Amino acid sequence: MAMRCKRCRGTAVMEVRRHNAAFCRDCFLHYVGQQVTRAIAKYRMAGHTDRVLVAVSGGKDSLALWDLLLELGYQADGLYLSLGIGAYSERSKAVCQEFAEARGATLLVHDLAGEHGYTIPEAAGKGGRSSCGVCGLSKRYVFNRAALDGGYDVVCTGHNLDDEAAVLFGNTLRWDTAAMARQFPVLEATRPGLVKKVKPLYRVAERETAAYCVLKGIDYVVEECPLVAGNTQMRHKETLNQMEEAAPGTKHSFLFGYLDRAAALLKVADDADLTECARCGMTTQAPEDPASEAVCAFCRSKARLVKTLPIVEVASR
Amino acid sequence: MLVTARLRPPDRVVEVADVRRVADLLARLEVLPGAVLVIRDGALLTSQDELRDGDKVEVRFAISGGG
Ligand code: SF4
Ligand SMILES: [Zn+2]
Ligand SMILES: [Zn+2]
Repeated sequence: MAMRCKRCRGTAVMEVRRHNAAFCRDCFLHYVGQQVTRAIAKYRMAGHTDRVLVAVSGGKDSLALWDLLLELGYQADGLYLSLGIGAYSERSKAVCQEFAEARGATLLVHDLAGEHGYTIPEAAGKGGRSSCGVCGLSKRYVFNRAALDGGYDVVCTGHNLDDEAAVLFGNTLRWDTAAMARQFPVLEATRPGLVKKVKPLYRVAERETAAYCVLKGIDYVVEECPLVAGNTQMRHKETLNQMEEAAPGTKHSFLFGYLDRAAALLKVADDADLTECARCGMTTQAPEDPASEAVCAFCRSKARLVKTLPIVEVASR
Repeated sequence: MLVTARLRPPDRVVEVADVRRVADLLARLEVLPGAVLVIRDGALLTSQDELRDGDKVEVRFAISGGG
């Protein structure tokens, strides 16, 4: 017997086991919209007069997020950063461009090789970081800087419930309290040079963002990034999914319990320790020895890469 | 009865015999229902939906790594 929609009793197309529910197409889209509206309201993520920049990768989460923000009436532009990962990056860029064109939305395109002189495959392992390590560092840097340059009020990323639960799980296994304190659905811009960052999908599971895209006919890149193999976050997700199967709601209560009851006990690093990078001017941690020069993690990594790679240094904008 | 399942990513096609419902297919493939979507002719199926002989379905993994 076919499952019934919890809301309208029509034929269900999607189960959400942690809420003990199943929905038809329209009610499922309504449910996802509600979760995002709730997230935005609870943490005052963005207002309708704010200029919002959505970091898009071409994957299901970021495109679902951009679509939802546009549907909910936000002034949301997209930002795609080309990482130089061969055909995967080319296809990702094309998917983002088609999405933007179809909606008459604005997409900013940045290019790591063109602007900073390296691609992720070239950089992997060379500066002492894994491919995902350099990739994450580069993305955070480029997004923050592009948002400042473009005068945006807030940067939205597509992190979903599964991403957040997996990161929290990893941080908890190491009791990395500093990283835990930063892992919040909203990070305010506490000083000039920083941009507010928010995660409006933190209440929506990964399987639900994929279903949202399928039901709305959003073409996204289904293929995995070729550099993802063996990624720790992926392993944590698999472990959590095993637990979720046995007890639906495990991920939800792990993450939400942390956010509602434990996060406030952790102290976010003090702003007084922040200063400007001597090379690029972006905000960074002040060095312990006040006599030494403050150089941000991105500039340090880039300097190491430029030394080891047979590439021409590109002047920073 | 025979069902053709295309698993992606990566992109692997397997034929599975005698599975009455989507839940049976996923159990046979040893895939966690919470990690995938099952799509037939562009439409999503729930675990209770019945499969028919000759069905071609996509089992799409909805888990991505990185960050
Ligand atoms: S899997 Fe790693 S290298 Fe690939 S896009 Fe994601 S973070 Fe970057
Ligand atoms: Zn309904
Ligand atoms: Zn710098």
